[in-house]
Amino acid sequence: MGYIELEVLEDQPKRVVIGIDLGTTNSLPAIWKDGRPEVLEVEGEPALIPSVVHVSGEGTAVVGRAARARSMDDPAHTIHSIKRFMGRSLDELDEAVLGRLPYQVSQTERGLVQVEVAGKRFTPQEISALILREVAAQASVAMGGAEVLSAVITVPAYFDDAQRQATRDAARLAGLEVLRIVNEPTAASLAYGLDQKEEGTVAVYDLGGGTFDVSILSIEDGVFQVLSTNGDTSLGGDDLDAALVDLLRGELEGTVDGSVFEEPAFRQAARLAAEKAKIALSRDPAADLAISLPELGVNVRRTVTREEFDGLAAPLIERSLRCCERALKDAELEPGDVDEVVLVGGSTRVPRVRAEVERFFGRAPHTELDPDQVVALGAAAQAEVLMGSSRDILLMDVTPLSLGLETMGGAAEKLIQRNSRIPCSVKEGFTTYADNQSAIDFHVLQGERELAADCRSLGRFKLTGIPPMPAGLPRVGVKFHLDADGILTVSAKEESTGASASIEVKPSHGLTEDEVSAMLEASLENAQKDFEERRRVDLIAEIGIMLRHATANLAVAEERLDRESMEDLREAIASAKEAQSSNELDLVQTARDTLDRATMPLATVLMDSVVKEAVSGKKLGDV
Amino acid sequence: MDAVCPSCGAGLETPLACGACGVLMLPEDPVCPFAIFGLAPGFEVDRGDLKSRLRRFTRLVHPDFFALEGEETLAKAEHNNALLNEAYGVLSDEARRANQLLEGLGGPSEKDLGSMPQAFLMEVMEWNEVLEDAAPGSPELLELERELTEQRDRLAAEVGAALTPLPQPGGESLAGIRQSLNARRYVDRALGRISAGSAPS
Repeated sequence: MGYIELEVLEDQPKRVVIGIDLGTTNSLPAIWKDGRPEVLEVEGEPALIPSVVHVSGEGTAVVGRAARARSMDDPAHTIHSIKRFMGRSLDELDEAVLGRLPYQVSQTERGLVQVEVAGKRFTPQEISALILREVAAQASVAMGGAEVLSAVITVPAYFDDAQRQATRDAARLAGLEVLRIVNEPTAASLAYGLDQKEEGTVAVYDLGGGTFDVSILSIEDGVFQVLSTNGDTSLGGDDLDAALVDLLRGELEGTVDGSVFEEPAFRQAARLAAEKAKIALSRDPAADLAISLPELGVNVRRTVTREEFDGLAAPLIERSLRCCERALKDAELEPGDVDEVVLVGGSTRVPRVRAEVERFFGRAPHTELDPDQVVALGAAAQAEVLMGSSRDILLMDVTPLSLGLETMGGAAEKLIQRNSRIPCSVKEGFTTYADNQSAIDFHVLQGERELAADCRSLGRFKLTGIPPMPAGLPRVGVKFHLDADGILTVSAKEESTGASASIEVKPSHGLTEDEVSAMLEASLENAQKDFEERRRVDLIAEIGIMLRHATANLAVAEERLDRESMEDLREAIASAKEAQSSNELDLVQTARDTLDRATMPLATVLMDSVVKEAVSGKKLGDV
Repeated sequence: MDAVCPSCGAGLETPLACGACGVLMLPEDPVCPFAIFGLAPGFEVDRGDLKSRLRRFTRLVHPDFFALEGEETLAKAEHNNALLNEAYGVLSDEARRANQLLEGLGGPSEKDLGSMPQAFLMEVMEWNEVLEDAAPGSPELLELERELTEQRDRLAAEVGAALTPLPQPGGESLAGIRQSLNARRYVDRALGRISAGSAPS
């Protein structure tokens, strides 16, 4: 018996865990293969998937390159940079950022950001889930069809609890089990450390599309220990684009009606032109910043020099360097103590960024690994660690922000200090203020400020089920635990009676458990619908090819087929033509199958003649 | 340590997990931070040794190594690693370490002792005045910082000396150590305010 079980176990295919860099601009999967991390490739190219989703008028979503291709002709239905809205509420967002979006955003009843497109509403979690689904699908193609069920997903180190939780929820909605949420700079250091067997102090400067992180690590003996981290979750390449868009708008000011700036077509065209100019400026001393939208009366072309662009970038780079100073201070280090500097994120291609980072740390940064791939590579290395193959590599990470409670007076009392090693727990005692009080409310905060109102609200918790007792007598022990993903869980126990008090959570900027479950159900239904839709489109394309082929050979068919076969073929062609405009999957499928059968005799006849032609005029030995 | 692993019988270096067979333990709450690190209580701690123990023990309990072993084991790893990190926080910080020793010896807690001597409180008020009025980087502030740093080092040396070797549990010296530790809290808080004021923002 045991013997058989053992055999069954050994026959199980090895579970596939991929690493996913879920980026603001692009997402990328990687796996561990033959002792090293490797970016997954489709048709010889890295499976870099633009983090863009297009939703058609009928509500069909496409993701990635196909979606990005629609961004010019259908900007209002094309969603980009959704990562900036993960775990955020509408009232926290910068007006200027919203004013540049080509697509519509609004808020849910609880104030969370949602995207409105084609009459439908999507939370950022749902949009990210669509992206993750596509990443998993591409990864599966790259691995020859192996199903992807588990993943390590990276997030900016400076992401707070709500943003991490939102990422985890997105993965759940995409049907992925998240084995670990790992910080992007930590992943990057892992990718570098593996290659170079570095020992010493490393600073990772990660300027992505929408977020900035800096982490200071010590690497020794396979242990990657984060000493401190800092950052800004709304600072990235998108802001460089925005500065160029503002330049364009300034150029147009007075020559066009102000309402033009509200047009999705203008916003999208401006954004894409800015992005193009930015990329060119990393290479050339000057670039053209141009858009032409005759229907809006917009036609503007302007040269931007690198010098001018550097001037626009300077305040943003300055902001990132302030973060570096704070990170060093928390690690109790000076810039000169850092042995290696690693650059991560597409925006570190900007020459001025490189120069300023080099000046700040007083040493040339590493750029050996592609800054767009290094995070995914690190995630794959972490996936391998989680698979349990060895304990040679150990990541010890920290929480970027202090965790606290609001006190009676509205101050923030810190329970866990920023840069504490995770996982970590703190126990706090609570009691009642009134006789027979059965519930206690408390408000959990994240941030460094002294006043609760200035910190970020994580959620309001309600402790219930406290046994009736005189005021001050119950002793409820509440345990706050930050797990290895940097996500908070809260549990409680009434200590005098041992009754475990139950806790209701109302996340301030996230989805409740019920909301996620409801979305999960809806997404399964949608997945079925999406699958059917894709199948229908594929079948219609196939019918098109078959019809073209059949009609082209109709003359041959008339000549060579028997009457019955010919009748069948005509009927099949007629119903296939009808099916081409049908919305019914079943009907399309039947028409395609009937056509397939009806063209068989024709195919045989054609094949015969091809073979005869080929054989005639050739010697027997050549056949 | 004398404890042995209930699973394989090997000697245990830490009550969190067995270094020989890797099984995770469920240590009884609360556990002394010194015990978690397999050290005898004492004021002197070798920082290098502490760090190397942290790395060694983290390799035994980090949730990364239990990712596929089911929720219950994973929760145990989360719990034990949190205990390890908390204990490291206590042992690597001189003041927190002294506090821990004092409590272990049955000394008075921070609140038991009541208020600080009048003269000391007057001094604290003077610091606060400078902290309120002086601009970051001003000579007054730099002078205060120098003074406070000196005082902190003096208090640390006092506490260290009084706790080496460890005094008798419940002994008379404990109240004095508590007073020095409490004074140090005031000093640290004032130094914290100076450094926060000069922090890049």
